[in-house]
Amino acid sequence: MVTDAPDVTIEPQRKSVLSRVSFVWLIPVAALAIALGVAWNSYSSQGPLITLEFQNGAGITKDETALKYRDITVGVVEDVGFSEGLSTVLVSVRVDKDVAPYIDSGANFWVVRPELTARGVSGLDTVLSGVFIEGVWDDVIGATETRFMGLEDAPLFRPSKPGLEIALRATANGQLTENAPIFFHGIEVGRIGKARISPVTNFAIAEAIIYEPHGRLINNSTRFWDTSGFSVNIGASGAEIDFTSLATLVSGGISFDTVVSGGDRISDGEVFQIYEDEETARNSVFNASEVETLELSAIFEDNIAGLTVGADVELAGLKIGEVQSVSGVIDRATFGDSRVRLNAILSIQPARLGLEDTPSPAAALNFMAGRVREGLRARLASAGLLTGGLKIELVQVGEEGTELIPDMTASLPMIPTAQSEMRDAGASVEGVITRVNNLPIEELMTSAIDFLDSAQDFVASEELRGVPEEAVGLLEDVRGLVSSDEVQNVPVLLNATLERLEAVMTQLEEQQLVARLVGAVDAAAEAASGVDSAVAGVPELIASLQGVAAKAEGLALEELVEEINRLAGNAASVIGTDAFNALPGDLSAALGELQATLSEVRDGGVIENANAALASARSAADAVAGAADDLPALVTRMSGVLDQAARTIRGYDRGDELGRDVESALREIQEAAKALASLAKTIERNPSALIRGR
Amino acid sequence: MSDATIITAREMGVVGCRRCTQVWPQGTETCGRCGKRLQLRDHKSLQRVWAWWIVGMMCYIPANMYPMLRTRTLFTVQQDTIVGGAIELFTHGAPFVAAIILFASVVIPLGKFFAIAYLAISVQRRSVASFEQRHLLYEVVEYIGRWSMIDIFVVAILSSLVQLRTLAAIDPGPASLFFALSVIFTMLSAQSFDSRLIWDVQSRDKGEAQRGH
Repeated sequence: MVTDAPDVTIEPQRKSVLSRVSFVWLIPVAALAIALGVAWNSYSSQGPLITLEFQNGAGITKDETALKYRDITVGVVEDVGFSEGLSTVLVSVRVDKDVAPYIDSGANFWVVRPELTARGVSGLDTVLSGVFIEGVWDDVIGATETRFMGLEDAPLFRPSKPGLEIALRATANGQLTENAPIFFHGIEVGRIGKARISPVTNFAIAEAIIYEPHGRLINNSTRFWDTSGFSVNIGASGAEIDFTSLATLVSGGISFDTVVSGGDRISDGEVFQIYEDEETARNSVFNASEVETLELSAIFEDNIAGLTVGADVELAGLKIGEVQSVSGVIDRATFGDSRVRLNAILSIQPARLGLEDTPSPAAALNFMAGRVREGLRARLASAGLLTGGLKIELVQVGEEGTELIPDMTASLPMIPTAQSEMRDAGASVEGVITRVNNLPIEELMTSAIDFLDSAQDFVASEELRGVPEEAVGLLEDVRGLVSSDEVQNVPVLLNATLERLEAVMTQLEEQQLVARLVGAVDAAAEAASGVDSAVAGVPELIASLQGVAAKAEGLALEELVEEINRLAGNAASVIGTDAFNALPGDLSAALGELQATLSEVRDGGVIENANAALASARSAADAVAGAADDLPALVTRMSGVLDQAARTIRGYDRGDELGRDVESALREIQEAAKALASLAKTIERNPSALIRGR
Repeated sequence: MSDATIITAREMGVVGCRRCTQVWPQGTETCGRCGKRLQLRDHKSLQRVWAWWIVGMMCYIPANMYPMLRTRTLFTVQQDTIVGGAIELFTHGAPFVAAIILFASVVIPLGKFFAIAYLAISVQRRSVASFEQRHLLYEVVEYIGRWSMIDIFVVAILSSLVQLRTLAAIDPGPASLFFALSVIFTMLSAQSFDSRLIWDVQSRDKGEAQRGH
């Protein structure tokens, strides 16, 4: 039973070590070997770890976000953390071993995120896959570097897109949109980088790149201009809207052209000015004397609105530059109070100073410093009375010995300023305008209307119309008398009568009806032309006001108008006088007397005297007819005058209450004139009818 | 009954086939019924147990370090390890599911490792601690071992069902392979354990005790 037991115990001793060890042990050994092999492999193929510092780590994910070079993944983010004090984001990237040596101090890194701009969508692939880090470095192996500052945006200059690197300087109202395209004849050849404000002066400057091979298009006579927005031209050929592309319409763009051939090639770093439009840009090429401007700062105590960018800077009436920027300044430390002062930056064109040596900003500064020492001051002056615009004039008012002071805020030299004399410029202009406004034009018009009403009444009066009929009746009677036998029997009486008739004619002559009528109409014409000249003079007056405000005040406009008014009133009163109104009555009374006399003549029968009397009467009638002949001319003249007045008044103030009054007045005047004209025509057609009654 | 009646097959001079349980006289090389090689005792059993155990443990480490599932939706790719996934489920308000996952994927495999190691060590040290309980432990380990594959099962089903091209896809992570290997190796380890070794100590002790009498 127990005999087998020794066999069992002996058995293992007989066997070798190999046979005692289970072959299963191979499996853990193999597993271990594999594990170690994999570990070693991954360790040995692992590249170095570089650390990137970003301001903002939006979208960067550990173990997912890739580092790409020319759009190929060359590394993966291993860790994302913060720097000391949480100020920046630190991204640790495991870089591929074969790329790592090229990542030296010249490498740049930035995060590519989806971006939606007017020119399209960029980085769209990152929408689905998440952001990635893009890096650029050159193809030269340099010293190893493991810590880099990440860029906020993609750099403009990349080795993958070489080009000519220039800088563009914007005008005061210009636009420099980041990443805006640069066009040459409508083809995009470059890009604008991020614009920044120049630390020294008040203009924006932006880097720009003109991609190869277009860099050779640029030389020192190349001009850039702004093509953003659109321009509308309305001309003989119709309306025209012009914009370069939809993208530039929204976000701006720059075009350039080389206007003059044979310019010198330029190198990287050249600065170009961006002009407002193509025309300015092209013109600037021929303005060869334009060199870099001298910038001066001037601080004015007066804080007068109206000084705008681009306002003239004049020296002795000659424009030598313009205002480049205007800003308010509050500097308690310098001025001792916290009032707002006007700080204007003047850009002075050295070429216009007439310097002896080559015009340059330095030479101009020298010149200005000398003149300031002699007492040159900057002063605000009115550029125009009505517009209220201001300019800056440099005048010799200060005492000598003052130097150009360097500005404390910027490195601009500061020109001392003088008190402006235009403090009440606005007020005086306003006063002139108010006085023009207060001219009694309404009263004048009312007087004219009254006068013309009276004139119409007079012309349309029954007495005046009755004159021809009575004359006709009278002449019939005369004919009857002459044809009667009794006439021949009254020569003696006729003699006496003739004397009376002569007296009547003298009276008639004395009455001077026609002359007075002519005088009245002349007075009316004078009044109307006075209105005309008064009203027509307003624009001229306004024009002339622009230089001579004080003189304008002294102008006897008011008196003139009052005089006209008075004259018109006088004319109206003359016409309105009873004597004038009674004129027709007198005339008919005279005719009545004549009739009575003739009756006596008929009774007296003095034929010879009657013949002479008739001759006299005929000459009198001829005089009346001659006078009546003048009437149409008078009427024409008057209506011309009134038309002129109407035109003037309409031009002066159309649609106003005054205008309506004037129009109604003119209508009445026209009616009056028509009445006069019809009367005149009647008389003209048959002048002798007045006498002969036919 | 408890003392004297425990007589082992070896003491009776027979050997049982471990496949078809047919009993043969000692010295028989192969089972005449099923053809399996007959062994009175498997002396390399413990070696194999430890070998498989070590490989299983080696596989268990990456199984927990690498992501088990890679869930790719339209925009995001999510990778979760076993424990990480359980924690995420827990924080998302599914503690029950999280507990199941933790139990099936962490507690059971680890318990298995410890149980097998304990059994093997106790046999090597000729421990006389409760044979009955150790035997029960062995039975439980052998029985429950296959249920650890439920994780792999879930991963396999998910990754075959959720394949909506770009919209969403679930792929097994590298951990699933290691987890499966770990389960397989621990099962092999448990199977390599010759449970008869547990009572050999008992019978030997008893034998010595009898001899001492």
